[in-house]
Amino acid sequence: MAPIIELRNVYKRFGDNIIYEDMSFGVEPGETFTIIGGSGMGKSVCLKLMIGLLPYDAGHVLYRGKEVGDMDAENLRELRRNVAMVFQGGALFDSMSVFDNVTYALREHTKMSDQEMLERARECLDMVGLGYDKEILYRMPASLSGGMRKRAALARSIAIKPEVILYDEPTTGLDPANIERIGHMIRKLQKELGVTSIVVTHDMPIAWKCSNRVAMLWQRKFPYIGTPDEIQANPAPEVHEFINGIYHEDQD
Amino acid sequence: MSVRRPFEYIGEAIRAGFDWAGGISLLLGRALLRGVQRPWGIYDVFNQIVALGIRSLPLSTLMGVFVGMALTWQFGEALMGFGAKNAVGSAAALALVRELVPTLMALTIGAKIATGVTAELGSMKVSEQIDAIASLGADPVKKLVWPRLVASTVTLPLLNIYGNVLALIGGAFIADIVFDVPAEYFYETYIDELYPMDYISGLVKSFTFGLLVGLIGCYQGFQTKFGTEAVGISTTNTVVATSVAIIVFDFVLTTIFLPVG
Ligand SMILES: Nc1ncnc2c1ncn2[C@@H]1O[C@H](COP(=O)(O)OP(=O)(O)OP(=O)(O)O)[C@@H](O)[C@H]1O
Ligand SMILES: [Mg+2]
Repeated sequence: MAPIIELRNVYKRFGDNIIYEDMSFGVEPGETFTIIGGSGMGKSVCLKLMIGLLPYDAGHVLYRGKEVGDMDAENLRELRRNVAMVFQGGALFDSMSVFDNVTYALREHTKMSDQEMLERARECLDMVGLGYDKEILYRMPASLSGGMRKRAALARSIAIKPEVILYDEPTTGLDPANIERIGHMIRKLQKELGVTSIVVTHDMPIAWKCSNRVAMLWQRKFPYIGTPDEIQANPAPEVHEFINGIYHEDQD
Repeated sequence: MSVRRPFEYIGEAIRAGFDWAGGISLLLGRALLRGVQRPWGIYDVFNQIVALGIRSLPLSTLMGVFVGMALTWQFGEALMGFGAKNAVGSAAALALVRELVPTLMALTIGAKIATGVTAELGSMKVSEQIDAIASLGADPVKKLVWPRLVASTVTLPLLNIYGNVLALIGGAFIADIVFDVPAEYFYETYIDELYPMDYISGLVKSFTFGLLVGLIGCYQGFQTKFGTEAVGISTTNTVVATSVAIIVFDFVLTTIFLPVG
């Protein structure tokens, strides 16, 4: 199958800070693709390249074969209608209620009635485990806990029913039950709606459980890509050390 | 090397200045281009006018009254020396309407609007809310810049009109109390002195200042780098940039309007 999102020989740098050099990988439709790698190595940057939030210096970033860097405003809008992103910090809009946050994309892209939007918002908040609180829709983000904010942001990204969801550390800072719930949600969206997920995470159990393939970012590329079993069996020391959290004191 | 150094600095500063002006013009172009497309976001614009305008009323009131009072007092003293204190209304009118009210209003209210916008958009930038708007398929320039730009461009002239009325009242008060020039007389001579061009020049100034402060506020917010301290830095820069822009444009507009008036 043709990849739904493909990065081919991508170069990206910020001034002297080189993030990617000749980096390539592709994500198949319907799969859950997990990206792991050290902090500050460019995982968030990678997701932002995919929806054109950051420009790349050379190479190709393709969505269904179309070059993201060449897209005009209308094409980008369409791309972002189909590919949603959950930001690492949530990035909820402070000035809007949870309801307005969650339904933002619906108002932008659809002509749903208020009643339909309300139902959709409830449904999405249920999925991320915020449905128990009937008042949550009318609360402001500032009054939510960190974990609640994170999950409200998740709800905002899934509300439009995108075909691809980019998750940037969706479980960081959540309690074990909610981590489990998010993992379950990712799999459920995949099974029931055929959603393609690209998940950046430091949470190895979630990575093993949810992913079809795992890719490890190492030295500005993704040299290690494979099924969870393949990655776990990979003999390369950097892979072994990363996934098992081995730390050498003489390394620094 | 020690000789070249200062020149390199100056060259660097000039280039940064051009980059900044270029970036800001680009933002203005994009805001206008996207802004005029439907939907116009009337609701957002209205909200911003309330946020930027209504909340500036107390400060505008204070500004208007006190500028009118201070200037009338100064002119009154000077004119009294020539035994011409009755001319105080005519003297104060031009200086207030053409110069002081629009400029001082822009330097205070304008700076307040611009810094407020920078702080708001800057914190949205560092918390990735601006990226989030784009990622949800909306246009941050249309959603954030356009309403603020329209609001500040509409608000400052309106506050300028309001400030003029209050400056007149403040002036009349001082003329009457301090210089024994009746308030009605002050009013008549004041209005008599003014031609439509004087009002227009004041309004064109405050319109321009409104556009400038909105634009600078938004641009600085969008340019904010990482971290909360970056918001502080860009807000401080906004104060400097708006002050310089207002002073420069005030001079330019004055030279344009003086021959006309
Ligand atoms: N907009 C930007 N401008 C300049 N540098 C940037 C920008 N965004 C990211 N960087 C830099 O790119 C590098 C990678 O950042 P990124 O956020 O992708 O890391 P990450 O792998 O997601 O790390 P973490 O696991 O801590 O989230 C960092 O050195 C960061 O400073
Ligand atoms: Mg990251």
